[in-house]
Amino acid sequence: MSGCEVRLEGVRRLFSDEAAVDDVTLTAPAGAVTALLGASGSGKSTLLRMIAGLEPVDGGRVVLGGAVVSAPGVTVAAEHRRVGLVFQDYALFPHLTAGANVAFGLSGADKAARRAEAGAWLDRVGLAHRADAFPHELSGGEQQRVALARALAPRPRAILLDEPVSGLDPGLRADLRDRTRAAIAELGATAVFVTHDADEALYIADQIAILRAGRLVQAGPPRAVYDHPASPEAAAALGPVNRFDGVAIGGVLSTPFGPLRAERPDGPATAIVRAEAVTLHAGDGARVLDRRPQGAFDVARIAAGNVEWRALIAARAGPQAGEACAVKLTAEGAFVFDRTRAPAR
Amino acid sequence: MALSGDARAVASSPRSRLADAWPAIAAAAAALVCAAPAIAVLAGGLTARIDDPGAADLMARSVRGTMVLVLVAGAAATALGAAAAWLVTLCQFPGRRLFEWLLVLPLAAPVYVLAYAYGAITGPGGPAPIRLSGLAGAGVVYALGFYPYVYLAARAAFVSQSVCALEAARALGATPWRTFLTVALPLAWPGIAAGAALACMEIAADYGAAAYFGAETVTTGVFRAWFARGEPQLALQLAAYLLAGALALLALERYARGRRSFAGASARWRPLPRYRLAPAAAGAATLFCATLVVLGAAAPLAWLLRLASFRPLADLADLGPPLLRTLLLAGAGAALTLTLSALIAASARRPAGRAGALAAAVGYAAPGAVTALGAMAVFAAAREAGLVGGLGGALSIAALLWVYAARFAAAGAQPIEAGLTRVGRHMGEAGRTLGASPSRRLAHIDLPIAAPGVIAGALVVFVDILKELPATLVLRPFDFETLAVRAHSYASDDRLTQAAAPALLITLAGLAPVIMLSRRLSRARAGDAPGDGQ
Repeated sequence: MSGCEVRLEGVRRLFSDEAAVDDVTLTAPAGAVTALLGASGSGKSTLLRMIAGLEPVDGGRVVLGGAVVSAPGVTVAAEHRRVGLVFQDYALFPHLTAGANVAFGLSGADKAARRAEAGAWLDRVGLAHRADAFPHELSGGEQQRVALARALAPRPRAILLDEPVSGLDPGLRADLRDRTRAAIAELGATAVFVTHDADEALYIADQIAILRAGRLVQAGPPRAVYDHPASPEAAAALGPVNRFDGVAIGGVLSTPFGPLRAERPDGPATAIVRAEAVTLHAGDGARVLDRRPQGAFDVARIAAGNVEWRALIAARAGPQAGEACAVKLTAEGAFVFDRTRAPAR
Repeated sequence: MALSGDARAVASSPRSRLADAWPAIAAAAAALVCAAPAIAVLAGGLTARIDDPGAADLMARSVRGTMVLVLVAGAAATALGAAAAWLVTLCQFPGRRLFEWLLVLPLAAPVYVLAYAYGAITGPGGPAPIRLSGLAGAGVVYALGFYPYVYLAARAAFVSQSVCALEAARALGATPWRTFLTVALPLAWPGIAAGAALACMEIAADYGAAAYFGAETVTTGVFRAWFARGEPQLALQLAAYLLAGALALLALERYARGRRSFAGASARWRPLPRYRLAPAAAGAATLFCATLVVLGAAAPLAWLLRLASFRPLADLADLGPPLLRTLLLAGAGAALTLTLSALIAASARRPAGRAGALAAAVGYAAPGAVTALGAMAVFAAAREAGLVGGLGGALSIAALLWVYAARFAAAGAQPIEAGLTRVGRHMGEAGRTLGASPSRRLAHIDLPIAAPGVIAGALVVFVDILKELPATLVLRPFDFETLAVRAHSYASDDRLTQAAAPALLITLAGLAPVIMLSRRLSRARAGDAPGDGQ
């Protein structure tokens, strides 16, 4: 069984007259993993619940495999959609064992067959030995895997995951991400998962959709969105950036750290430069305020005039705190946008 | 697919409109059943015209008696319960784990049973050199019988405190004693106050013990005005005062409970660091807790057992008919009450449902004598309107069942609501996304998870009805005796050896919910969430 396409066509959802989701159009291709990335309150969980049929739509349509399942006043019940959902709190049934939880969604009259199939799914997530444990006896990571197996077992047309690993230890998350991705790939299901973690979205997804205040900011393959953000918000959503508001003149926006090509008419413009696109060299023009280690890299705070930026630079090399330095901006991580409104400061 | 889906969705919409309306329906039913007697009493009491010159005197003495009992016995119960809770949760001494659940045992016996026992112990032929009677007798029995309300609330408050807050205080250099006074006690205070308000409500509501000891309180005043003096107007007015006081205590309890939420903000669990008491202090702690258990439960029950053993076995056969009536009445009452409880609990989280829960709380706060009077007032009005005949036979059983439902719907709703809370919203949704139909979700998710709560609610209501005395005494049909009524009438005639057996039977039934509670206490560990869903 392979997954079906999930299409959102201009969907809206109002909560007490305020749009929690506003005119979102997005297609999650069959069999691919789509990440909905956004801060809390961006509407990403509401979107997920609308796809599942747990939340009605106030405008637009939700189309599953070519059939309309949600439209204003019409909601095909969640239990008839064949869409799996992994809840953020897992929502395992506390009175059922891990095996019975996984078997809950399986149909078929033969109890032994259902139990065997549930066992196979538990085995797939590496928990065959925990089939008889109750949820409260499982660790957080084990609970997540049971929830995943439970949602996948009925072979849904699409699987939805709400912050599937956010409650877990960082060390555990990487492993669970891989397991989750592998299990979804094996089933060939269409997956939509919600996260507020940009690295997670980039790592796991075939398509990223960035949401902000209920609206879709940008959608596309991870690398394309990262390298060609459509707006300052889209750029900032995927990693640490520096910002400078200035005026583009003659195809150039001058920042205190160097000029950027701005192929646009003269006028107010905003420069967005990713932290790793700021490189430091011997020379002058800027000053290193301090530098702090961040794993394989160091984060340096640099200043020119009264403007302060951050640079992600190689550890154990380059100018030290208090020293002067020259700054180069790499074109691949530097973007210039028109600034129509006054910057929100 | 799209078409069939649409059809299904459209077909389900009238059903969902009914689903939206039923919390309001439940609230209306709860208000009608639970609050109507109270409203009738308030309306009747406020419009009552009393021209009897002795009435003012009776009223003054009744109100003074209840005030003294609430203040003195309420303070004593609060001090005993809070001290015991503090010792058991935050100190280490021999027998601590045992006392943790033994201390709730006095809840098994209604206070009128304690009163009969102490009447026998301190009466002629009893071993005690003093004689308990009047307000003092009632006060002692209330303090011993009702301290567990404070103990339970205070214990929960101490247990739910964040260890982090206590450790933060100590890390900031506070001594253990200062930590207790400045952090632990203020954090627990709302819980203690809520428990104290409950104990005071019970003190004000009691009829049996006060009547037995001849204490002049508002509840005994209601009975005296009504039956001895034949002045229903005066009785109504007294009942209205009592109800106003009970509602004030209810408001206090609600307010304190609302403030309790600031405590226990941290979800992290670690064992509470208990203070290891010095040998002398530990001995005193053990002695204190043992005294409470002995005086509140062990000694009075043992004495009643001794009294009962003096009677021939044939006496027990006489108890058959009242026992059967009690069980039938409590069973029917529990079934009716629990239906209402379930409605209230299921809609408690909806705005309209909250009104129903409030009405049930008012019904629960109203003393049995007040509710009985209110029900009679409603029936009297119905009779004047020609809707019903005289109160007797089946009609008085119906009135009795109504009073039980009004009084105890809240008591049943609480555990059911706790059970339903364990069914998180996401669990129902998980069932839906796994393709389970509404009936399958009800049968395989909601009911199994909430079942312990429903069973607990049924048990609590059944036993509460079985112990109920004043309303049963007033509303029962002629010659219809329950165990409580039988015990009361023997005790009133000072035939305590005969009262002992029915009193013990009532206590035996009362043990069931208390044991359930005790088991939960001994199993629950500090910081455990009420539901173990996580």
